[in-house]
Amino acid sequence: MSAIAKKEFRSYFLSPIGYVFSGAMLLLFGFFYMEVLATQSSDYIPMIYASVFSWLMMFLLPLITMRTFSEEIRTKSDQGLLTAPVGVFSIVMGKFLAAFYLFTVSLVATLIPAVVISFMGSPDWPKIFCTFIGALLCGAALIAIGNFISSLTQSQLVAAVATFGVLMFLFLIGNIASSISIDWIKNVFNWISFDARYQPFTNGILNLSSLVYFISIAAVFIFLTARKLESRRWS
Amino acid sequence: MIEVKNLSKRYGENIALSHVSFSVGENTVVGFLGPNGAGKSTTMNIITGYISASEGSVSIGGHNTLDEPNEAKKLIGYMPEMPPLYADMTVKEYLNFVYELKKVKLSREKHLREICALSRITDVYNRLIANLSKGYRQRVGLAQALVGNPPVLILDEPTVGLDPKQIIEVRNLIRNLGKNHTVILSSHILPEVQAVADRIMIINRGRLVADGTPYELEHGSEKNGEQKLTVHMEGDPKEIKRAIQSIHGVTRVTNDGLREPGVYEYEIDGSAKTDLRRPLFGIASKRGWPILSEESSALSLEDVFLRLTGSTYLSDNADQYFERKGNKK
Repeated sequence: MSAIAKKEFRSYFLSPIGYVFSGAMLLLFGFFYMEVLATQSSDYIPMIYASVFSWLMMFLLPLITMRTFSEEIRTKSDQGLLTAPVGVFSIVMGKFLAAFYLFTVSLVATLIPAVVISFMGSPDWPKIFCTFIGALLCGAALIAIGNFISSLTQSQLVAAVATFGVLMFLFLIGNIASSISIDWIKNVFNWISFDARYQPFTNGILNLSSLVYFISIAAVFIFLTARKLESRRWS
Repeated sequence: MIEVKNLSKRYGENIALSHVSFSVGENTVVGFLGPNGAGKSTTMNIITGYISASEGSVSIGGHNTLDEPNEAKKLIGYMPEMPPLYADMTVKEYLNFVYELKKVKLSREKHLREICALSRITDVYNRLIANLSKGYRQRVGLAQALVGNPPVLILDEPTVGLDPKQIIEVRNLIRNLGKNHTVILSSHILPEVQAVADRIMIINRGRLVADGTPYELEHGSEKNGEQKLTVHMEGDPKEIKRAIQSIHGVTRVTNDGLREPGVYEYEIDGSAKTDLRRPLFGIASKRGWPILSEESSALSLEDVFLRLTGSTYLSDNADQYFERKGNKK
């Protein structure tokens, strides 16, 4: 597992993907941050973290999950992994951890401006911290989904676009819910909505049910990806 | 070392492999031979655990590949038809990755250096795999299979894409590895397998159609009660052919063409129960046809292969073609 995670993480930075991902993330973040600074109040800092994180996840995570399995299937290098003495679960976990690690590193880097500001002002640290945890959990779930989609296709492009579509849907389903009058459908949509699950964290609440929700989603999709890889052996 | 029992693989209606069973002992080189699409790669993929069989079982060193996959996989070094390489890594990074992936316990530096020397990739050790030629990639694929020094090596067409010098090198390497490894290699090229294998298995359309040492396969036809003679005789070819055909035990006579003025070569197939040479001499002396040469030939491995895989001889087709032409005249 660690061998695969290490190799995957390195390969993010051997190809442009790692640089583009963290570069774009920090650039966009910096831009929004500058906008906030223009208001000359540190009250808005947690809010910036809250909104920028969710947008970044939606747009940039498909970029790091698109090739995890598609590329291996296309070049048939998965033969090397599947015939090595490691279980399917270790392969999937290794890939998941690598993507999650890259995501975490980029996320931590976005804290630098807030740290700098804290010398001169007083950003709401508990709120930022909670948002950070929320983003990590939400990101873990999204990475697991992205990896699963990547295991379904040989094409990185298809994987990226499909993942983007699914993530967009998961974030925006809450908006659809508000326009539906049938109660139970509304409830289901709200229950699924990633946005609604993520909101409590941005308000500084460590919401247990959201935490369990995100971790469960991640676990379910890691499991499904492992099943999918296993099923290739039987088809 | 390798026990394959009743292996079958179906893809929907298609049967890729049908009830294949064999076992391979230690320190042998086995050659899988068969035309393209015969089921060689499928068999290898099942043995290495890449795909699963629809039926049957495989055990490596006593470990069933379904019950104890990791134990079994630890014993195997596999080089697939398309080496599982990562283009964005250098050879060094890649082999280190494989070393960690296989959880090898041997001293890293020394072991990797040995493997590179064996597969002759030391001079590209620090180069990016994306920039390597096909032959080098093939050899990195071989090196990858050797990492961890597994007792069983499964090599799917190991010499594809190599130049003649490299082919000889790889053959020698495989022969040397065969001294203390169990090696299964596949090829659709006969001399390839003949050069290195102690034992040959011919697979055709998903079935194991022959299994034995090259010698046994070449002489197996005699056991089946066949013999083959090649003679040069002087005289009228039509009469000679008719006369030979009348000999008891002869199943087929073909005229291979003019060899010297008035002398034709004939190929005689017959049952091995009676010696055809004496009656042949009898007829020749009675009719006054000098026999200029006579040779009894075992079937070449090539013949065995072609016959078992259902391909027809080119010479047969040519014969028919010329006969038809002759009839028209």
